[in-house]
Amino acid sequence: MTEAVGKTPSLDISGLFRKYAIFFVLIGIIALFSILSPYFFTFTNLVNIFVQQSYVVIAAIGLSFVMISGGMDLSIGFQMSLVGVSTAALARWYNVPLPLAMASGLGIGVLCGLFNGIASIKLKVHPLIITLGTMTVYQGLSYIVSKQSVILNLPPAFKFLGQGYVFGVIPFSVILMIICIAIASFILNFTYFGRYVYALGGNDEATRLAGININRVKLIVFGICGFYVGLAALVLFGRAGSASSSTGPGTEFSCITAAFLGGISFKGGEGKIWGLVTGAFILGVLGNGMQLIGMGTYSQYIVKGFVLLAAVGFDEFQKSGLKKAKK
Amino acid sequence: MSKTILSLKDISKAYPGVLALDRVSMDFTEGEVHAIVGENGAGKSTLIKTIAGAHQPDSGLVGIDGKEYSSLTPKESRDAGVEVIYQEFNLVDSLSAGENIFLGERKGRFVDQKQIKKDARALFDRFKVDIDPSTLVRDLPSSMQQIVEILKAVSKNARILIMDEPTAPLTLTEVDTLFGIIKELKKQNVTVIYISHRMEEIFTISDRVSVLRDGQYISTLQTEETDKDELIALMVGRTLSEVFPERAQPSQDVVLELDRVTGNGDHDISFSLNKGEILGLAGLVGAGRSELAKVIYGAEKLESGTIKINGEVCSITSPSEAIRAGIGLIPENRKEEGCFLGMSIDWNVVINSVRRISSGLIVNKKQEKRISLDFEKRLQIKTPSLAQKVKNLSGGNQQKVVIAKTLAADTPILIFDEPTRGIDVGAKQEIYRLMNSLVEDGHSIIMISSDMEELLGMSDRIIVLSEGRMTGELSKNEFSQHRVLELASVHVSGQKEII
Repeated sequence: MTEAVGKTPSLDISGLFRKYAIFFVLIGIIALFSILSPYFFTFTNLVNIFVQQSYVVIAAIGLSFVMISGGMDLSIGFQMSLVGVSTAALARWYNVPLPLAMASGLGIGVLCGLFNGIASIKLKVHPLIITLGTMTVYQGLSYIVSKQSVILNLPPAFKFLGQGYVFGVIPFSVILMIICIAIASFILNFTYFGRYVYALGGNDEATRLAGININRVKLIVFGICGFYVGLAALVLFGRAGSASSSTGPGTEFSCITAAFLGGISFKGGEGKIWGLVTGAFILGVLGNGMQLIGMGTYSQYIVKGFVLLAAVGFDEFQKSGLKKAKK
Repeated sequence: MSKTILSLKDISKAYPGVLALDRVSMDFTEGEVHAIVGENGAGKSTLIKTIAGAHQPDSGLVGIDGKEYSSLTPKESRDAGVEVIYQEFNLVDSLSAGENIFLGERKGRFVDQKQIKKDARALFDRFKVDIDPSTLVRDLPSSMQQIVEILKAVSKNARILIMDEPTAPLTLTEVDTLFGIIKELKKQNVTVIYISHRMEEIFTISDRVSVLRDGQYISTLQTEETDKDELIALMVGRTLSEVFPERAQPSQDVVLELDRVTGNGDHDISFSLNKGEILGLAGLVGAGRSELAKVIYGAEKLESGTIKINGEVCSITSPSEAIRAGIGLIPENRKEEGCFLGMSIDWNVVINSVRRISSGLIVNKKQEKRISLDFEKRLQIKTPSLAQKVKNLSGGNQQKVVIAKTLAADTPILIFDEPTRGIDVGAKQEIYRLMNSLVEDGHSIIMISSDMEELLGMSDRIIVLSEGRMTGELSKNEFSQHRVLELASVHVSGQKEII
């Protein structure tokens, strides 16, 4: 602890750089694509990236609650698929008023999350395995609900969620995303429940012995995740304008990558929302930039895969760096 | 007459804050059963690990068969014929007893099940052990697993066999089986180093016995020329060096009462805790003290019996209920159970009570600051800032954070589980003073401790556990290290079969 006392300001700068390294990475790739493509650093394109990433950020925020608490959710992609087609089917096929249909969709999202939570508590198995199973369950449910068809012509108010603009310039999905970020940051940083989430991920036995009902925390965390994922689904399907069960899956990959990039570790107990958002935008900028410079879809997959690997490595790098800084 | 097979010369080994072995020199002769005794922390485990090459001593030489090593490796130790049976099982559950015994032994491309079975059977017959070699280890009772573990070591044709508390999981009949094995080994001129807390076993099986105390070698005696009292006297051997301040007499009001409490491996524990009292809970490692603490705290299930708080029966089924009922626990392992290493000091200090200092959902950061500053001062937590992460603190300061976190929840009954383990003398004294001021403020404390000085110096009364049962209660005028140790090594597991 003495070394902490004697910390010099110069050390702090390198520590600071390490802490916010992910942010510099984002600036770096923005600079890179700005050089590579004349179309990249334009107002329209940047807004486009925001719109494209808004649903990923919203879903990733949900996931971050689970991950910070030490869990994992692989099922969010199919949760989104189920929420989206259910909402669309209720609105278009069963003529349920849209607000009610959307509320039901969000409710289904929460139920999916709660089910993941209950299953991992009752079966005492890591949520990674649980959600590997429930992922398939939600996939099946989604295709049954959609009758394997595409539900076309979603109501305009539904589309507004993903495509609409407020005052003609600000995309509605981006506003929604910002609200989601604000609420999640508030919960994690200012409420006692937020403390419980970090506590559970940091040391579950100490959390239990601190008199915190860890099962309740787990359950709520999964419920929150389901809610955010449901919201992300509404945005995504609204943007698509039609609903099919194949929309949604794959989002879990982006979300998990964004979380790792943003400093939320697999073990849990750490990570900040701003890091996660930065991570999500690194993915968004990469995807958009690669598209603009004319890279093929499959080459993009390869790059994204390596980004995930890099993110995991980066996580270790940050930690080992911190350890070294202490010596 | 018989030759020395293993000799230790001036072995020293220090861990941060403790000198685990202090210039220990000992000799072991071929074909003898040599017992090693000492209190918790006397250095027995470190000694074994040194012989096995698992730890390299800071100085000194280990001589096996005349060859001397200054830094013995596990492989060298093994090649020289040393096998250790540790307390934890190292068996593969999903393989059969026979397969476990010859695991990693057979060269060849395929596993020859028949041969394994035949060889295992021969080994079992030789030592008159009744186990079917093809039974899966997970289907064997834990006592039989221990026998398999022992025979696995024996099958390596070890010349020096070290047994660390081998009888801990065994019932009386199996202890006989074990002794049969040891006698058989002796005939084959194998040296057995036998570590046990159970005096009667040492007198039954050993030829010589050596005493360690506080990392120092005390002496080696011929077993038949000594007795239990002499051994205990040698093990204890020291006078209290620390001065423990006097406290006022505790009142006679009972705040906590246990009646035939059973659960988490403990059976029929009954005692009471008075207001303003420090009640010591003594016992050897594995006696069930921390287990009992967790039952009282609601972290483990109370299977039967009752717990009364202030005269009223309480059914506590979770730590949060325990805290509400007024019981706080400072857990034994601060890193695993006590604190959140990656979080700041103030975050840790309020985590047990964070809900109470929140208005609605929102944590009152002013209160958080006030409470943690208060504890920083009261417990003299040494840190440049409360924002410092706990993992950057020294052990003693980490322990203070764990204590502060429990105290912040403001419970009148406190269970301190090994409050000063692994921390330096200065911090110890501070914790003792804190405990004294707590009882003077009307708190009541149950203190689990393996530190004899602390136990005798701090407690008003001592309850002794052995093997999950209560073996005695000592009031202040009956306190002696001798008496505590005697009660702590009472072998009671035989009774389980009767009940």
